Amino acid sequence: MSTRETTTPRRAGRAGTDSVARKLARNVGVPVLSIVLLFALWQGIVVYFHVAPYIAPRPRQAVLAVTQNWSTLWPLVLGTIRETVYGFIVGAALGIGLGVIMAKVPFLQRLVYPVLVLSQAVPIIALAAPLVLILGFSVTPKVVIVAWIVFFPVTVNVLDGLSHVDQDLMNLARVYGAPRWRTFFQIEIPATATPLFSGLKIGATYAVTGAIIGELAASDGSSLALYQEHANTNLNTAAVYGTTMLMTVIGISWFLLVVGAEVFATPWQRRTVARRRWRRADRSDEEPAR
Amino acid sequence: MKLRRITAVASAGALAVSSFVLLAGGASSAATTSITFAYDFPGPDFELTPVVVAQDLGYFKAAGLHVNVSFPPDTSSTTKLLTTNSAQIGFLTTTDMGVAVNAGAPVLSVANYSMRNNWALFAKPGTKLTPGNLTAALKGKRIFSYGDTWTESMLPFVLRYAKLKPSQVKIVTAPTGNDLTDLLAGKVDISTSTTNYEIPGFQGSGTKGTEVQLLGTKVGAPDIPVWVYAVTRSYAAGHGKTVKAFLSAVKRATVWAAANPVKAAADFSKAYPKSGYTNAYNLEGWKLTIPFLTNAQHQYFTQTTAQWTTLAKALKSIHLINAVPAPTTYFTNKFLP
Repeated sequence: MSTRETTTPRRAGRAGTDSVARKLARNVGVPVLSIVLLFALWQGIVVYFHVAPYIAPRPRQAVLAVTQNWSTLWPLVLGTIRETVYGFIVGAALGIGLGVIMAKVPFLQRLVYPVLVLSQAVPIIALAAPLVLILGFSVTPKVVIVAWIVFFPVTVNVLDGLSHVDQDLMNLARVYGAPRWRTFFQIEIPATATPLFSGLKIGATYAVTGAIIGELAASDGSSLALYQEHANTNLNTAAVYGTTMLMTVIGISWFLLVVGAEVFATPWQRRTVARRRWRRADRSDEEPAR
Repeated sequence: MKLRRITAVASAGALAVSSFVLLAGGASSAATTSITFAYDFPGPDFELTPVVVAQDLGYFKAAGLHVNVSFPPDTSSTTKLLTTNSAQIGFLTTTDMGVAVNAGAPVLSVANYSMRNNWALFAKPGTKLTPGNLTAALKGKRIFSYGDTWTESMLPFVLRYAKLKPSQVKIVTAPTGNDLTDLLAGKVDISTSTTNYEIPGFQGSGTKGTEVQLLGTKVGAPDIPVWVYAVTRSYAAGHGKTVKAFLSAVKRATVWAAANPVKAAADFSKAYPKSGYTNAYNLEGWKLTIPFLTNAQHQYFTQTTAQWTTLAKALKSIHLINAVPAPTTYFTNKFLP
């Protein structure tokens, strides 16, 4: 056992507590502080410049516009979340599938890639109205718009990940006679996880925007975007700001969920060795003591 | 020596001329008041014709005005442009005025643009849509709405007339959509718009037959003016002469444009060649607007206490505003030319 290892346990207790507190402060405290500062700045500007409430409300008025109408807003929030989740799943599945196929069939990659780039050059707002004409006013056009936004970064990142797999590992697997499917699932897929999650995080950030654009294009009944639109036409600016905050919260929550999934799915990014409880009974594969 | 004298004389002359030009220019710019007129829609269309004509024929210049036209980012922002002084005179629907005053915005209508309500329900050619069969024609049907205050205000009256609850129809709201396209594509059964915008659009679509229309006023909607010119109360108090000069120039232009629709539409098309509308659409739209510009006494612009009382009561009855204020809260006729 090395000197470092013998001294670590004594210091680990305090150092561990410190690092947890510091981590909390760094990861939670600082973002919360930045939001508080943002709200303070908002309040300060509105008060200092005597901004009329129908031009810009105070933060408290915006929050109240949400909390006091929560029973109306909650079903609309659920609707937007549903459109976001459905669209994200469809877009992610399509992106992963297309990325894998394109990586495996180079001709297809050359054939499809320009179309993919073209698809993203089309302004999504311009696309929304024709989609409504084709698919109607239901949830479908919103799901298509979200999927349209999500699939591209996922496809590109999967493609990128698969084209940068460690060739030494691949050769090693081949030497050991590993079948193709096993190489794919045990080497290529894990190697793609990091770029895949980068794509998913980009998609998650824009997914809510896609859902809102879809809702604005047309909705039968009500939606969060239309609620905001009506509030805007009625000069209820507090509700406009309140619903914007809600949309932001949905977007951030969805992003954090994907980050959480990434943390769970790619533990090797944070630890070089598996947790002790995950290790096999046979300790022979443990790190040798230095 | 001679050359030096010539140079000195020439320089003095040039200085005198440039000073005169500068002074004359300064005097001219001091006499001209620059204002911004905010339209009610993000892009130009034929209802802007009087302002375009006033610019083109020099009526604004003759009134000592330089008018810039600005377009709001959405159909709800004209009031905000006025109250933040980004624009001094605005074009609003009367329902926008209603909700603005209710929200505490200090806006004041200074003239009617149109005098009557030409909002209507529309259906595909061959559809039966009459006051007598309204209930059957609307029940369970998909009705298009842009989600604007005017449609949101008028629809409840029509539904009340048809003895239908909102839950008995399917209102499709598409702020960025196009009612006519959705109607012709069969995505909605009934579209809603004003006649001057809908009919030229239908004619331009090349669809055979005549689009069926039912004026809202025949099925319960109040017969009130749709659009007005508005300013803020503080601007009206401090710049009464400018407001009056603007209305005077616009009235001259409106009268001229009503008498010369072809030339007026051509003026608009020339001023905004990239508006996205054809000259035929602009001409037809403007022609359909003309009958609504004057009241029964053939007057332009004149507002009445009755129109604002009717509007306020109507908006209150559908809970769009909290209280019915005095009509003078909304309007004044004192700047009319």
